[in-house]
This record gives sequence, C-alpha cells and structure tokens, in this order.
Amino acid sequence: MAKIAVGIDLGTSNSCVAISRRGRVDVLPNAFGESTTASVVNIGADGSITVGNAAKANIIHDPHNTIYSSKRLIGRYFFSDEGKKARAVCAYEIVEGEGQSVRIKIRDEVFSLPEIGAMILRELKSIAESRLGQPAAHAVVTVPAYFNDNQRQATKDAARIAGLDVLRILNEPTAAALAYGFGRGLNQRVAVYDLGGGTFDISVLEIGEDVFEVLATAGDTFLGGDDFDDRVIDFLADEFMQREGLNLRNDPYALEKLKVAAEDAKKALSLEDEVHIRIPDVIQGPDGSPRSIERTLTIQEFSSLVTDLLQRSFKVCDEALQQAGIVARDLDGVILVGGPTRLPVIRQAVREYFQQEPLTDVDPDEVVAMGAAIHAESLLSEATESVLLDVTPLSLQIGVAGGLTEPVIERNTPVPIEQTRTFTTFKDHQESVVIRVFQGESREASENALLGQFEFSGFQTGRRGEVEIDVTFEIDTDGIVSVTARDRRTGEQASTRLTLSSGLSDAEMSAILERGVADRVETAAAIAPSAPAATVPAGKPGLVGESDDVLPDADLDLVPLSPEDLELEKDPGLDAMPELETDPDLDAMPELETDPDLTPALETDPHTGPELTPAELDTDPLAGAPVGLGDRSAFAEPVDQSELAPDAQLGEMPITVEVDSSFAVTEIELDGPIRATAAGSATAASAADGRDPDDGLDLLLEDEVIAGGDLDLDDLTSLEDLSIESDDAESLFDARVDDLSEDPVGKD
Amino acid sequence: MSRLQATEIQALARVIGEIDYYQLLQVPRGAVAGEVRKAYHHASRSFHPDANRHLPPELRQAVQVIAKRVAEAYSVLRDTRRRRAYDQKLDAGEGVRIQLAEAEARAERDSVESGGRTPQGRQFYKLAERDLRREDWSSAARNLQTAMTFEPDNPLFQQQLAAVKEKLR
Repeated sequence: MAKIAVGIDLGTSNSCVAISRRGRVDVLPNAFGESTTASVVNIGADGSITVGNAAKANIIHDPHNTIYSSKRLIGRYFFSDEGKKARAVCAYEIVEGEGQSVRIKIRDEVFSLPEIGAMILRELKSIAESRLGQPAAHAVVTVPAYFNDNQRQATKDAARIAGLDVLRILNEPTAAALAYGFGRGLNQRVAVYDLGGGTFDISVLEIGEDVFEVLATAGDTFLGGDDFDDRVIDFLADEFMQREGLNLRNDPYALEKLKVAAEDAKKALSLEDEVHIRIPDVIQGPDGSPRSIERTLTIQEFSSLVTDLLQRSFKVCDEALQQAGIVARDLDGVILVGGPTRLPVIRQAVREYFQQEPLTDVDPDEVVAMGAAIHAESLLSEATESVLLDVTPLSLQIGVAGGLTEPVIERNTPVPIEQTRTFTTFKDHQESVVIRVFQGESREASENALLGQFEFSGFQTGRRGEVEIDVTFEIDTDGIVSVTARDRRTGEQASTRLTLSSGLSDAEMSAILERGVADRVETAAAIAPSAPAATVPAGKPGLVGESDDVLPDADLDLVPLSPEDLELEKDPGLDAMPELETDPDLDAMPELETDPDLTPALETDPHTGPELTPAELDTDPLAGAPVGLGDRSAFAEPVDQSELAPDAQLGEMPITVEVDSSFAVTEIELDGPIRATAAGSATAASAADGRDPDDGLDLLLEDEVIAGGDLDLDDLTSLEDLSIESDDAESLFDARVDDLSEDPVGKD
Repeated sequence: MSRLQATEIQALARVIGEIDYYQLLQVPRGAVAGEVRKAYHHASRSFHPDANRHLPPELRQAVQVIAKRVAEAYSVLRDTRRRRAYDQKLDAGEGVRIQLAEAEARAERDSVESGGRTPQGRQFYKLAERDLRREDWSSAARNLQTAMTFEPDNPLFQQQLAAVKEKLR
C-alpha cells in the first residue's frame, strides 16, 4: 500500500480531515457523515474518552467533564489573559501545571493541553483510517498563522501524542490559499480573511503559478466566533439579570445552556433575518420555580452586538496590507475561511472593507483541511508541484537590559531563516551566558511572549570582551524556533530546542506517551457500522514514520541559573543604566555586542560609556528615575537593605517595589496567594520554610510569575514569608509583588 | 519542477560564504523589486526544503543552508533601506552577508546622519537646526516636537529636544 498523508485542520470549535490523491481532494466525513467534527472532548466516569458531537452533547448535562475550545489554551501560560478568561467562563477545571502551563483536571486526572489536542487528532486520524481503509500515519496539521512558537510546538507535540508523524505545521490561511490556487496557474494577489472559532488571521499572498508567497500576515489570537457567541450570551444574561435579578453566569449549567442557545442563534442568523431563542427552565428562582428565556433576536440586534469585533478584525487587516505594501484595491480576490464567515453580517462588512465581493466558491469550513491535504500529498511525492513561501508572523527578539528587547528577526520575514548575533562576555573568566528569547512586537519584554531561555557554557573562558560567542536563531518552515550558540575560537557548540515554560519537556513527553491517553479515545468511527476502522491497528505513538522529523536531534533542557552564571546584556555603555536581568551577583553591567562588523569592540568598562550607535540610544529612557510605587524604574544609586517602600498599603495592590540590591518584605499580610515578578534576578527564600537564601531562586522578568528553583511562591500566604535578597550592592533589580486575591478574574 | 543534481547543490553550498546576495539570487545589482521577487521564487523552487524532502540527509542539510540564505538575501534586497546598507557594506569590501538587525541599524544611522528618514521629519529638523543657530530655543523645541510626530523614535530628534529643553530651563 502506498504511503498516504492527510491534511488536518485542528480548529477551536470544529476540526476537519482531508486527503489529496493525485490532485483530487476529498474531505473525509466522520461516521455520522459530517465533514467537520466538533473539537470537544468528554471524559466519562470510567475514564473513557469521546470526541466530537457525541462529546459536545454533554456540554449541558456534564459541563465539568467536557472540554471545548481547548485550542485557545494550547501553548499558553496559566496566568495569561486567555488562561484567566478560561478559568472564569469554563465549567471544566483548569489548574496550573509545571512551568506555569495550563492543565485541565477532569475526575482527578490532569491532562496537558497537547494531550487534549491529541485526543481530537486521534479521532480525526481514526476517521481518515476508517474511510481510507489503511493507516494514516503522516499528516500536515494547520495552525493559525499568528500562533507563536509555544503554540506551534504544543500543537506538534499533540500530533506526536496522537501517533501522527507531522510532515509540516502549516499556517491556516496559507493552506486556504493553496486550496484556492493550486494547479490553476494563477498570477494573483489575494487576501485570506480567516475568522475561526477562536482566532483571527489575515494573510496577504502573491500567487505566481506554482509559488505561493505570503507577503504579510497578521492576526489576533483572542478574536473568533466564540467571541460572537459571548456577545449573545452577555446580551441574554444581562437582560435576564435586569428582568429577573438572577445572574446566570454564576450557574455553570445555566451558562452552558446559554452558550448552546447563543451558538445556535448565531448560526440561524446566517440563514434567517431573525431567530427565536427559547431556553425553558434556564435556572431556578429563589423560590425554586423554573425561569425561562424567550425572545426574538434580529439580525440588526446581532449586528450591533458584534460591530466592534469586526472593526477589530479590520484593524488587523490594515496592518497586514500595510506590511505587504499594498492597498485593498490591489487585491484580485478575498478568500473567506472559518465558519463565522458564513454570517451575512460578516460577509457584508468584509465586502465593504475590501471593496469587492469575497470569493465563495470554497467552503470556509473545509478549505483549510483541503489545502493541508494538497500540501501533504506534495510533501510525500517526489515531484513537488507547489512551493509555499511563508513568513514568521511575530518578531523574534532577545531580552536586553532594562526589561527591554531587541529584534533579531522581524515579523513577516520569510522562513526558513537564520540570523546570527555575536555576544561577548563582560566579566573575566565568565563561564556561561544566558539568552532569553521572546516573540512579539513590543520593546517591553513583559509585553512579548517568552519562548524560553538558553544557557551556553563550556566555551573557552577569557578576559572580558575576549570571548566571542555566535548565537544563531533559526526559524524553520514550521515556524518553530531553535537557538544555537558557538564559541568562535574553539568551535564548541551547543544547541537547543527552546524549552518552553508552557510546553512539554522530553521527560514529560515520554511519560505522556507512556500513559497513552490517545489510545483511550473511543472513536465514533470504530462504532459506526460502515467503518472498517476496527481492522486498522492504532498508531503506535512515537514509532511511526520518519521520527527524525518529529524532534530536533539535540534537545537540551535548560537548567536554573546558579548565581555564578551571567547573562549577556545589550549595552555596556549606558553606565547610568541600573537594570540587571537575571543575576544578583553581577558586579558590573554585562555587555552584549550586536555585531563586531558593525560595532567595533565595545568598551569593557561599563562606567565609561562608548559611543552609542543610534539603535542603542533609546534603550534606557528611565535610567536614574526616582524610585516609587508603580514605577518600573530602578535606583541609580545602590542602597543596602532597602525595605519594601513603607507607604505600601494593603489593598493598594499591585505594589511595585524597586530595590537596588536587596530588600526584605515585612509587616504586610495578605489573605490570598502571592505572586511575585522581578525584573532582574533575585535570590528568594521562604522564611517560613527556613530555606537557605542561597538556594538560588531566579525570578525572571516576565509579565507573569516565573519562579525557578523549587520555591513555590503560591504556597506563601503572607508577604512576611517572602524575602528577596541579593548580596551584591552593585546589582540592581526591581520586583513586583501582587496580591492575587485582588486580581480580577473576570472576562476580558 | 527542476530537479537539481547533487553536485550542483554541493557546489553552491561550498561557495555560499563567498557569493553575495545578487550572485545567489542571480539578479543584476540594479534589479528592481519585481525582478528580485521573481528571482526569489525561482531560487525557492530549487532550494526550498519542501521541494527537497527526498534527498539524502547531507544534501538536505546543504539545501537548508542555501534556503535560509536565499530568504535572507530576499529580505535584504526587497527592502530599499536594507539594500542600501548592504550595497555600502559590499562596496566597502566588508563582507558578502549582512544580518537583518545590522542592516536596520545601518539604515537607521544613515537616516540620522541625513537628519531624518521622512521628508517631513527632515524638513522640520532643518528648521530646528536653523533655530538652534539663532539660539531661538522655544522655536527649536516646537520644530523638533513636530519632527518627532513624524519620527517619534528618532534618537537624533530625541537627543536634540532634550538638549533644547535643558536650555529652556
């Protein structure tokens, strides 16, 4: 039997699988004859797993054990906005996993997001196998173009857990463009407006016969059809609150009923001008009497509820067009992707924005899987018939002094690409360097996604400034980032797949494969009478296909830094700049040389500033600014043993504290758990635990908590328990202590 | 799709460190944007990793190196600012490769040296320079402020404005 490869669109709300055979593309329907399968997972009391519409039917009566929209959480941190939002609205339990990852707890079993994704992928794999009558071990899996490295890596992990060999992670809009233009010999510029269940992407492509070049892509991973549903939910809940004085949002069962009704109403409005919404017995009143919702929703009402969401999408379109250097009228076509684009209110808005009739000859629910299938066939065959030239959607940046970042590879740069920057040590006999990698467009490190940090040691040490370390950043065709460091003198080399706080380490991955949750999926395909799937052996995770494509060869887990470790920094010249990023023991500013060819040898003494190149001038607007609450600046003058600013009052959270070298927090008590963020680095110890302060807990700059080491800040119940110390008077850092109990956990 | 001979790939991989972006994409120095794009498409047909999945590993690795360099060349040559910086470096014999960040930094420096990167920025910066010569600090501050509305992150403008504000104080 010839090897086959399928294309899988793993969607927020629905997923789809397709196959291309000699250019003929078929969407493979599930056992119920549906071309898409709900991306919903239900875990039964006996531990059995069901996926799809059968699982979705459980949302109302078994909301705690039914997982939907999990794509919104994949590759995210527990404390991210999306994590917070999910905790507020989802009936299933969301818990924090290792490295602040998001985990889902169902009936005492904790699942990682890649495992949830794997269950859905396994179902799609089974659908394909039952339809094709042979194993489908290879796949092209699509992701939103705007997914960052964390999310891509997590998706790739999901496929691996499902027992799939991922030929390629493909961007959804690119797949759609391929499905539209493949084999047609077009010479066109097209835009793909992709509004999915949970994400929005816009890509602008130039199609030159067999070449599909993405000129620019932009997106919003917080905008999708779910948000349209939410507007209807809010509308109905608010109205109900006004009328009945009862808050439906506090009742998970009522909320799920509302959710189902809202989604149905939205769908009905793609065909009708108004829809009758009826939810009998949505909740019980205080007297135990059943209360209901019954009203008509017109398309005008719906339209006014979602106008701002559409405007948000067009702002993103403006950005993409501008980056592509074209205007809307230069486009030869606009391709609509995603179920929500069936809505007349959206079609109308798109028509007005692009000043043209959008193309409707492709099915918005199937086009992505079809494109993925075409590419999958192309990758398996010897003669590739089309070339996809994609770009990286987000700028890759490195962390530099002052909580800032410096771009290495800007967004919309074609991939694969590799860029090298040269760093040097700032201290005599320095033994290791740390590079922190971000994705995003902000100069502020905290506003970008932290991909991970990379430590390089084992190079030949020397006097400061003598060592030259080439750090190479690579983004591959899947959009996945890797980092390599090399000592110029010795050629000593180390490389790593960025180990992500939200991803899975190799050890975790092994444990997950061992656990084999994907094998527990009871596929509808297997139950369906027409399905020969029962004869198809389930894929053995990790053993299929060309495993060398699954993981990079050299994986290197990152280890917490010891105080001896040093981080390279951007600019040694800004002698007023007190920021220190990860290490309390640095006795001087570390330095980073952007490029020896461009910037001649940098001054080694941080207190005699070398001439600044223009790019460096704006690195430190805050140096020397006074210390104060809520201010991200730091002391210019070192002060010993400064305490938490005495004015800090309970209830005035979040508190920002800037300290030069050390501080101890006393006398403030909080009820809730504590979260601490430090720009710079600190040795933290829990007084309650009586732990040695030299344990070396590193607090890294991030918008969320990052607590390395083994001290769990969440265990602390009062600020008394926490002290952050540094014994180096010259190193500076700032720290922020938040009271989580004050943290609003509401919908965004 | 053109199938490349192993020897061709190996030959190109061997000299990749010595040829410039124009040679790599096979376009003349004066090539316009459309020609650069066509050349990028052409090179990608041969060297994109997707088109070479079936090669033995060592050749695939060589193709990877070439593909990444092709993307880099395209990223520089399609952007007039980066391309100017690259041409300068090339003409000065400082190497055949430019890192994107380096190209940006050079372009930025050029724009500072020429007093701004937008026509309006340059115009108001000129006016501010005139004011500075006359020691008319408040007018200089206004003109610099206006220049900065066009180029908010221009370090030269920022620096000058800070100096003028100091004078005004």
